[in-house]
Amino acid sequence: MPKNLIQAYQQAPWRVQIQRIGLFLLFLVTSALIAGVYLYFSAQTTAVGVEIWRLEATQEATHFEIENLQNVLAEKSSVRSMEEWAKDLNFDRYTPDEVEYMVIPGYYGRQTAQMGPTGNFSNAPDSIIKPAYTQSLWEWLLEKLLKLSSQ
Amino acid sequence: MLSDFELRTNIIKVIFSMVAILILGRIIGLQTNKANRDFQEYWEYVSSGYEEEITPARGLIYDRYGTPLATNLTVYEVNVNLEKSNFVGNAETIASVLSRILDIPYDEVFRKTNVSVKETGFTRKIITSFIDQERIDQLALTYDEYENLNGTKKNPAPTLYGVEWTPFLIRQYPEEELASNVIGSVSKYGDARRGVEQQYDELLSGVPSKSLQTGLPNVIHDDDWPKGSSLVLTIDREIQRTVEDILDFHVDETGSLSGVVIVSDPETGDVLAMATTSRYDRLPDNDPRIEFVNPAIESLYEPGSVSKVLTMAAALDAGLVTPDTPFLDTGIVEVGGVTVYNWDRVGHGQVTMTGCMELSLNVCLASVARDLGVTTFYEYLDAFGIGHRSGIDLEGERIYPLAIPGEGNLAAHSFGQAMNLAPIQMVTAISAVANDGVMMAPRIVRSIISNGRQYDLPPKVISKPITAETAHTLTEMLTVSLQGESSNIEVDGYRLAGKTGTAQIAPYKGHPEYDILPYRTDATNASFVGWGPADDPKFLVYVWLEEPQTSPWGSVVAAPVFSDVVNELVVLMDIPPDAIRLQIANQ
Repeated sequence: MPKNLIQAYQQAPWRVQIQRIGLFLLFLVTSALIAGVYLYFSAQTTAVGVEIWRLEATQEATHFEIENLQNVLAEKSSVRSMEEWAKDLNFDRYTPDEVEYMVIPGYYGRQTAQMGPTGNFSNAPDSIIKPAYTQSLWEWLLEKLLKLSSQ
Repeated sequence: MLSDFELRTNIIKVIFSMVAILILGRIIGLQTNKANRDFQEYWEYVSSGYEEEITPARGLIYDRYGTPLATNLTVYEVNVNLEKSNFVGNAETIASVLSRILDIPYDEVFRKTNVSVKETGFTRKIITSFIDQERIDQLALTYDEYENLNGTKKNPAPTLYGVEWTPFLIRQYPEEELASNVIGSVSKYGDARRGVEQQYDELLSGVPSKSLQTGLPNVIHDDDWPKGSSLVLTIDREIQRTVEDILDFHVDETGSLSGVVIVSDPETGDVLAMATTSRYDRLPDNDPRIEFVNPAIESLYEPGSVSKVLTMAAALDAGLVTPDTPFLDTGIVEVGGVTVYNWDRVGHGQVTMTGCMELSLNVCLASVARDLGVTTFYEYLDAFGIGHRSGIDLEGERIYPLAIPGEGNLAAHSFGQAMNLAPIQMVTAISAVANDGVMMAPRIVRSIISNGRQYDLPPKVISKPITAETAHTLTEMLTVSLQGESSNIEVDGYRLAGKTGTAQIAPYKGHPEYDILPYRTDATNASFVGWGPADDPKFLVYVWLEEPQTSPWGSVVAAPVFSDVVNELVVLMDIPPDAIRLQIANQ
């Protein structure tokens, strides 16, 4: 039957044209699909990137605000402010003969500052951005394919 | 005659050709047009990215209980983006608004604003800097108000377009001058001066991070916000403040030139307070008085009789004497060709070693040093760190090497003359007596906070100049002798050990007695060193008053400072009276 088929195509050249057009359209549609997927992911990445920019700007502003608030807190708890506050509340400064030492079970006096967990140089912080946000589409695709093949 | 097919084909050809020509023209236009070329350059710059250096926020400084002593404040630099401001041509509006809100002359702003990028070569022009948050909020509000104004194409609304403000941090000291001699300062431009700020500048400043900035939002980087390490000091804010107040009062009352009080924990070497007069004024950057000296670590002076503690420690440790060893005090002795007298020029007859310390007899201590021998005596002084740096982690500690050891200086050195020391070096040496014979390195920084974690620095042992037994014996001797030596020490309920010191001062060049007498007759240095509770010391207090006017004696002017400080210390440090403490220990 293949001989008949070749003969049929030779007798109707438009079929060859249709075949070529079909192949061309197939290529076009495939390219458009790939471009579409690429565009979709690029758009998504860009949108996330813009959001990250915005968050970074907020983060920067927050850092400055934190520094300011720490400063405000320090000023409010400074010796001078506390003394004024105590004076406003009608507190008097003690004299040594007024002091009486009392043993309060469970109270061990003021504890020295512990401003964070005890350090160990090996625990450096990891990256906070997932690799999906920094790799290209092809890198992502390759990673997924490798994952699939390894399963 | 063309056929329909050929005509249609030709029309299509013409249309396609015209489209092609238009595209080509546009391409040529884009390549040759200046604005487009500029944009292309800009785009290349933006898409390829540029490295921006992010200056870390300077680490904070806390006292030992976490109270902030040095913080950061956000201020702003106001500048004008000339490209933008020129574009809208609103130099007058900008000058008018900025001069009103930022309180700077209109002409100055206008002059800076009304220039083009071509003239200056810069795209941004700084108008002013160090503007506080309040005024920036006001500026932002005004900016928005102008943005909302409606104008026409012919008559556009005035705008502040082009005015920008950039935040940055400057150092703040919420406790003002408190412990300024210890903390130091950082200028408006970030230069660290003196104290911890200078000593730990690298750590506090942190490492600037480089960030790749691009105009492409789909290219993102994991840029962490850098921050310098923070420090937790050994200083206790409450003790520091109290001691500064007491020192100020006594310096004023005694008419002293200056004063120093150091409070330390002999067990760890932690400096709990280091008060000096005068303190470090955080003066404007160009003030010549910026050259401040921290007398606690930089002023060298002859300590006098407080140094007898070291001589007696050496004699006890070497087994030469015991507290009850008798001594016949004739009031005069010759050691190494030098005649030594007692401070009162009186012979006190038969005394014990405890009595020698109680009466602070130069003759007795010079004789003890002579009997100890030059080699042994100086070996002990060396072990106590005399003539060496204490190793305190503060910038600027000074030393004066001990004069060539020999019989000639032996007598003077035995009672603290002819030797120059900074108060911190005396504190370090004597802390060995208060800490079972173990000499700890004095320290100001207790912990470093980096990346959210706290790294506690372990206390460091310098040496063990004497045995624990010697230390206990000497402490007991000084507890007994203190009760007899100075009636100015009253801290009810606590047994304390201590020693007074009155030192002569060598005349400076230009003094009337210079080149006439070895020591001035018009002034002394008064000192006191003490620690307690005697059986389990929790603090050591060192006092130095320079040239007091009301009395030359350490027992009269320096001892009350010690007494006042200890009365407050026992409360601030939650130290129970001896009776209660022993009662708790026995339970």
